[in-house]
Amino acid sequence: MSALLSERRVVSLIILMLTVGLILSTFGLEFSDLGGAFSPMFFPRIILGVLLVLAALNVVIDLLANDTAKPIELLPVMIISGAFLGYVLLLPTVGYFISSVCVGIIILLALGLRNPVQILLVPVCSAGALVGLFNHVLKMPLPNSPFFWWI
Amino acid sequence: MIQSIPEALSLILTFEGMLVLTLGTMLGIILGALPGIGSTVAVAMILPFTLTMSQAPAILLLLAIYAGSVYGGSISAILINTPGTPQSAATCLDGYPMAQRGEAGKALGWSTIASVCGGLFSAVVLIFAAPQLAAFALNFGPIETFALILLGLTCIVSVSEGSLIKGLIAGFIGIFLSTVGGDPITGEARFTFGQFQLIAGFNLLAVVIGVFALSEVLIRAAALRDGDTPLVDFDGIVLPKLREWKGRIKGLVKSVLIGTGIGILPGTGAATAAFISYAEARRSAPTRDNFGKGEPDGLIASESANNAVTGGALVPTMALGIPGDAITAVMLATLTLHGVTPGIRLMTENPVLMAAIFSGFFVINLMLLPLGMLVSRMAAPILRIKEAYMLVMITLLCTVGVYFVRGIPFDLLVMAGAGILGFTLRRQGYPMAPLVIGMVLGPTLEISLRQGLIITDGSFAAFFVGHPIAAVLVAAAFGILSLPFVRMLKNRKAS
Repeated sequence: MSALLSERRVVSLIILMLTVGLILSTFGLEFSDLGGAFSPMFFPRIILGVLLVLAALNVVIDLLANDTAKPIELLPVMIISGAFLGYVLLLPTVGYFISSVCVGIIILLALGLRNPVQILLVPVCSAGALVGLFNHVLKMPLPNSPFFWWI
Repeated sequence: MIQSIPEALSLILTFEGMLVLTLGTMLGIILGALPGIGSTVAVAMILPFTLTMSQAPAILLLLAIYAGSVYGGSISAILINTPGTPQSAATCLDGYPMAQRGEAGKALGWSTIASVCGGLFSAVVLIFAAPQLAAFALNFGPIETFALILLGLTCIVSVSEGSLIKGLIAGFIGIFLSTVGGDPITGEARFTFGQFQLIAGFNLLAVVIGVFALSEVLIRAAALRDGDTPLVDFDGIVLPKLREWKGRIKGLVKSVLIGTGIGILPGTGAATAAFISYAEARRSAPTRDNFGKGEPDGLIASESANNAVTGGALVPTMALGIPGDAITAVMLATLTLHGVTPGIRLMTENPVLMAAIFSGFFVINLMLLPLGMLVSRMAAPILRIKEAYMLVMITLLCTVGVYFVRGIPFDLLVMAGAGILGFTLRRQGYPMAPLVIGMVLGPTLEISLRQGLIITDGSFAAFFVGHPIAAVLVAAAFGILSLPFVRMLKNRKAS
């Protein structure tokens, strides 16, 4: 990323652009025209207006300031974020236990663990304990797997 | 409300009640001792388990986690020089040097007694001050409520560590998120963009767990430390003898008062209280030269103050429905999830529940002493647990928690989104507590503003002419908002 488009500045700009987009969207939506405080858009427009001013100010401040954000290991974060998104999408279909074990393994691998016993045991035990607690003790069933009725 | 205490005690002093308090306090101490989890994440993680409980045990469990975790933070601060919670950062200064001298048990003894004293005093203040405050606020109409919420929102200023603008942005994002879904007056859907799941709005718990717990997982994944944690020798807590208290009582009383007072002010938090109290003790204690080298007076100052904040912070939360920080915001969210409407009528509408919460909080602080002694021995080996394992467990727990609130997979997506958003924003210096405070206070702010404007025929000026309390509250809000700018100008002038 170039010096001008640092991570912090990009985030500030995104917040500003999203705010502008949301304000514009309030004019495109159709509501019953009751006017004044009765209008459903009355309060959101005030909030978004203030947010717009703050976001613009923030962009200016971030443009003037030096970006001091420390570089981080983004790869594990991206892998874990991606795995988690996949996990929450798959969970209702493949069940809590299987999806949790898979995401646990991916997290441990992304964090640099290489011991196969630990990599398998930690997610299996954690997910198994939660399934046991919720399905059998608290009687609040977690999403079941279509392959194994007991998990 | 005080008249309801005997009835409330009959709710608490049951097998189930005591079990909840005992397990909650023990779990709170362990979670607080684990570095990086912190009180907010601990409370957010346990919140879903309360969904199977009735109102009083649910809130008491979270209070036990809260008070336990604040104390638990001192265990890792003393044993591994890493505060389990930010509130215990000042405890490292004298706690770890004592542990290095081979006095870990003694250091934990001082911190336990100081924590118990701080917590008990603040519980008494909570029991007596909150009903008075609530009684005063009982005659508030929509206009006064709007002004009160506005004042409550100014605590964003004090929880915005680093950048005020970024804190305010996070706060307004939170208020905006609270407007997504059905309009409270007309019922029309707003900002749902065709997604029917959004008609009920964003699930508060999914957002809270996402921005605190899940983003914490991502932040820690990005900066994962490897290797084992060095642990000092520790054979259990050694309580200080009576004669060792000579000359220290005055300092303890002063620190407890500082902690409780700071706790009542919205947004200041336990970490600030601990450092202010530590600085005051360092200024005034006869042992000031030994501070930083393992002086018990330093430990007493920080630990009694940070535990005293817990009860103090609950005063505006329970009396006025204004959360002072992220933890009390989660508490209010819990009340909402259990069908209790937080706000100024909370105490009159639920006197027994409130009395149960207050007296339960006192019992929790009493239990800190025996449970602290028991759990600190168990917690010490847990501190060696690999961080990666903890991250897996937090992730799986968060998922279970959010899923059980409504059983809607869409909430899990909201949590994932909130987690990624939280990670991105936190990394750039945007604090997350204002976002949650904004989301909790947003609906009341909106409804009271709109009702007020309907009453005054759309006149903002009429808000203050016939409503002196509202005028004073709004003036105070603007005063607090302008404080950082005044301070900035003063600093500039001085330099």
